[in-house]
Amino acid sequence: MSSPTDDLHSEPLDLSRWRPLPLVLMAVGGLVAAFGAIHDYRQFSYSWLLAFMFFLSLGLGGLIMVILHHLFDAAWSVPTRRFCEHLACLLPWMAVLFIPIALNVAFAHGDNNLYPWIKMIKAGQSDHSLASKQPLFTIPSFFVVALLNFGVWTVLSRGLRYWSLKQDETGAAECTVKMRRYSAAGVVLFALTLTLAAIMWMKSLQHEWFSTMYGVYYFAASIWTTIFTIYVITTILKRQGPLRQVATKKTFYFIGSLMFAFTVFYAYITFFQYFIIWNANVPEETFFYVAREAGGWWWASMLIIFGHFFLPFLFLLRIDVKLTWAMLPLAGWAWLMHFIDMSFNIMPVLHPKGYHLDPSDLGCMAFIGGVLAWLFLKNFNAHPPFPQKDPRIAEAMDVYVPPDSYAQALEPKSGGGH
Amino acid sequence: MSDAVAPFEMPPQTGRKQELVVKAPPKALEREPLVTHQRSIGWLSDAIAGVAEGKTPKWWWMAFVPSVTLMTTCFTMILYLMSIGVGVWGPGHPVMWGWAIVNFVWWIGIGHAGTLISAILFLLRQRWRTSINRAAEAMTIFAVMCAGIFPLIHVGRIWFGWWLFPIPNMEGIWPQFRSPLMWDVFAVSTYFTVSVLFWYMGLIPDLAVMRDRSKTFIRKFAYGLFSLGWTGSNRHWSNYEKAYLILAGLSTPLVLSVHSIVSMDFSVSQLPGWHTTIFPPYFVAGAVFSGFGMVLTLLVPLRRLLRLEDIITVRHVELMCKVTLATGSIVGYAYAMEFFIAWYSGNPYERYAFINRATGHYWWAYWTMISCNVLVPQFFWFKKVRTNMIFVFVLSILVNIGMWFERFVIVVISLHREFLPSNWSYFRPTWVDILTYLGTFGLFFTFFLLFLRFVPIIAIAEVKGVTPQADPHHPLGGAKEGGHH
Repeated sequence: MSSPTDDLHSEPLDLSRWRPLPLVLMAVGGLVAAFGAIHDYRQFSYSWLLAFMFFLSLGLGGLIMVILHHLFDAAWSVPTRRFCEHLACLLPWMAVLFIPIALNVAFAHGDNNLYPWIKMIKAGQSDHSLASKQPLFTIPSFFVVALLNFGVWTVLSRGLRYWSLKQDETGAAECTVKMRRYSAAGVVLFALTLTLAAIMWMKSLQHEWFSTMYGVYYFAASIWTTIFTIYVITTILKRQGPLRQVATKKTFYFIGSLMFAFTVFYAYITFFQYFIIWNANVPEETFFYVAREAGGWWWASMLIIFGHFFLPFLFLLRIDVKLTWAMLPLAGWAWLMHFIDMSFNIMPVLHPKGYHLDPSDLGCMAFIGGVLAWLFLKNFNAHPPFPQKDPRIAEAMDVYVPPDSYAQALEPKSGGGH
Repeated sequence: MSDAVAPFEMPPQTGRKQELVVKAPPKALEREPLVTHQRSIGWLSDAIAGVAEGKTPKWWWMAFVPSVTLMTTCFTMILYLMSIGVGVWGPGHPVMWGWAIVNFVWWIGIGHAGTLISAILFLLRQRWRTSINRAAEAMTIFAVMCAGIFPLIHVGRIWFGWWLFPIPNMEGIWPQFRSPLMWDVFAVSTYFTVSVLFWYMGLIPDLAVMRDRSKTFIRKFAYGLFSLGWTGSNRHWSNYEKAYLILAGLSTPLVLSVHSIVSMDFSVSQLPGWHTTIFPPYFVAGAVFSGFGMVLTLLVPLRRLLRLEDIITVRHVELMCKVTLATGSIVGYAYAMEFFIAWYSGNPYERYAFINRATGHYWWAYWTMISCNVLVPQFFWFKKVRTNMIFVFVLSILVNIGMWFERFVIVVISLHREFLPSNWSYFRPTWVDILTYLGTFGLFFTFFLLFLRFVPIIAIAEVKGVTPQADPHHPLGGAKEGGHH
C-alpha cells in the first residue's frame, strides 16, 4: 500500500476542478442558511452557533500549535507551521462571522434569543444563578468578552505570522526570539480567552450549570480536530508539491502520535467531567447530563464514546497505521465526531427530545466552512508554503548541516601539517 | 560548510520553482550538545560508574548518618502510634485525614516525575531524559514507599491492613470497591510494581558494566547476579529495546492514572473545595510539577558534588525548569478556575470554602501555596534564572514547600469548615505527626544515598547514545570518514 509519507515521485493530482469548491460552499450554504434564517430564525441561530464553535476550534487549534511549536523549540513541526499560522489568522475573520451571534444577543426578542439568560435580562427577570454571576452575565459584558477574545487572537495570530514571514526574508535569529516572546505571553492569554469563549458562548446556554473542566474540555476537543486537519493538509501539500521535500515520515509520524495522545486526552477529560458529576450526584450539576441522556441524545452520547474515542484509539494504536492513506478517512470521521460533539453541547437546549439534523446546520457549516476555506487558500497562495529559513528546518527535514561552531572547530588550522 | 539544497515548488497558482537552501541555525539558536566538552565513551563509563566505586566520600557519610537517624525516628513514631493508637496524631473531627493524607499525596506526587521522565519522555523521543531518568526513577520508588506508609498506618489497626486487598477469607470480609480509597490501593501498588520493574529493566545493561569493572569477588557476584547474564549481544539489546518500549507504553497510562485516582479521593465527594471536575488533570500537573521540583533539588547539588556537570548539563537543568514552569502554570490555571467557578456557580458553600481559604484562619497556608506554586515558577521564564544553579536550587525547594501546602490547603482547610458550623474546629499537628513526616525524609534519603553508592546514577548505556560521537551525521561521529549520511 502506498503511503502519503514517502510519496516523492507521484505526479500532483489535478485539483483544478475542486478550486471553486469554497465559493460553491459559500453560495449554496449561504442560500440554505438564509432560507433557514427566514423560515426558522431560532433554529438558524443555534445552527450558526454550532458551525461557529466548530470552526473556531480550527482557528484556536492552529494558534496553539504555533505557540507550542515556539515554546517547545520543536523541529518536526516546522513544515506544518506556516499553514497553522494561516489557520490561526482565520481568527480575526471569525469576529466577522460572530456578527449574527452578536446581533442575536443585541436585538432578538423572546424565544428567538440564543441564550436563555439574555432573554431573562431583556424581560427584566432574574434567578439566583444569573444574579450570582453579575457583572459578568450582562449584555455589555458579553460584548466586552467578545472584544477581548478577538482582540487577543488577532494580535497573537498576526504577530506570529508577521515575524514568521519576516524570517523568510532575513533568516534572523531575532525573528525566532520575537515569536517565542509572543508565544510566552500568548499561551497565558490563549488559556484565558479560550476558557472565556467556551463559557460565555457555549456553556452559558445553560447558565445554571458549571464545571471547572469545561475550558479544558473545549481545548481538548479543538486540538484533536485541528491535528486531524493538519494531517490532511500536510498530505495534500506533500502530494501537490509545496511540502514534498520538507514533510518527511517523521512529520507524519509525530502528527499521528499527537492524534493518538489527544484522542486519549479528550476521553480522559470527558470521562472525568462526567464521572465526578455522576458520582457526587448533585442536582445542580447532573441536570446537564440528564438532558443529554434523554431520548435520542443517548445515542449521540454513545456515538461520542465509541466514535470519538474507541474507534480512533484502537485505530491509532498501531505505529505503522499513522503513515498510511487510511488516516485520511479517519480525519473525515474526526470532523464528523467533532460536529456531533459540538451538537451534543449546544443542541439539547433547542431539541431536548433528541438529536435533530436541520438543513440550517448543514447550510451554516457549508457557508462558514466555505468562507474560511477561501480565506485560508488566499493566504496560503500569497506566501511561501513553509518557513524557509527557520533555524530548525534542517532538523525537520532530517538533513544534516554541521553547526558553524563544529565546522570551525574541525577546520585545519593554517600552517598546520595535518 | 555545505548547505543542503532541495528544490521545491511554489503553490500551483504561482507555478514557480525555487531552490531551498538549508542552513545550520544561527549561533544564538544552536542546540547545546547533551554531553558537553566532547567527552569520550570511556570517560562517561568512568565518570558514572566511578560514583559507585572507590572510597565513600565524606559528604556521603555526613548525609547518611542524619538520614538513618531520621529514618529510625520515623519507625519509632510508627511503633509509638501502633502501641498507643491514632489518637497520638492531630486528626480529629472533622479533620479526620490530617497530616497523614497531606503527606501521602505529597510524596505520591513527587513519585510522578521518575516514571514520567522514563516513560512519557521516552515515547516522546526526548533524548535529554537519558541523563536524569535513572535518578528520577529511583526517587520515584523511594517517594512511593514513603507515601505508602501514611494511609497504611492511618487505617488505625495496621495489622488489618491486608483487608485492603480482595483476599477471599472465612469471614467474608470484602473491600468496599466503591470507595476511591480502595482504588488508590490498586493504583498505587500497580504503579509501584511497574515503576520498580521499569527501573530494574533499565539497570540491567549498566549492572553488567559494574560487574565487568568489579575488582572484588562480592561485587562481581552481586552485580553479576542482578545483571542476569547480560552480555551486550545483539539479541540481548534487541529484546531489551522491545521490553523497554512495552514497559514505557504500560507505564504511561499508570503515571496519569495514579494521581487522577488520588484526586478522586476528594473530587467524587460533595464537600465544598473538593468536588470539582478539574481535579484529575490538575492533580497530575501538580504531581509532575512537584516531582520535577524534587528532581531539581536532588540533581542540582549532585551534579556538582559528583562532578557530572558534563552529563547533567545546564541544558538539562534548563529543560527541567521549563517543565516545572509549564506544569506550575497549569496548576495556576486550575487554582484560578476553582475560584472562578466557585463564584460562577452561585453556590454559597463553594464560595465560602474558597474565600475562607484565602482569608480564613489558614490564610497563610493558602498564600504560601499560591506564592510557591504559581509565582515562583514564573521566574523560570528567564534564562538567567534557569542557568543560575543556586537560584534553581532555592526555587525548587520553594516548589516542594508550595506543593506540600497545596495538599494541606485541600485537606485541612476544606475539612475544618464543613457544612455544619457546630462541627468546625482548628487542626493542629502533634509532635508525633511532625516527627513521622520528618522521619520519612530520613527513609527517602537513606535509600537515595544507598542508591548513589551502589547503582550507576545515570543510565550509562543510554547516555552514550546521545553523545555527538554516537551520531553518524556529526563531525565527531563514527561515520564521518567515508560515510555518506
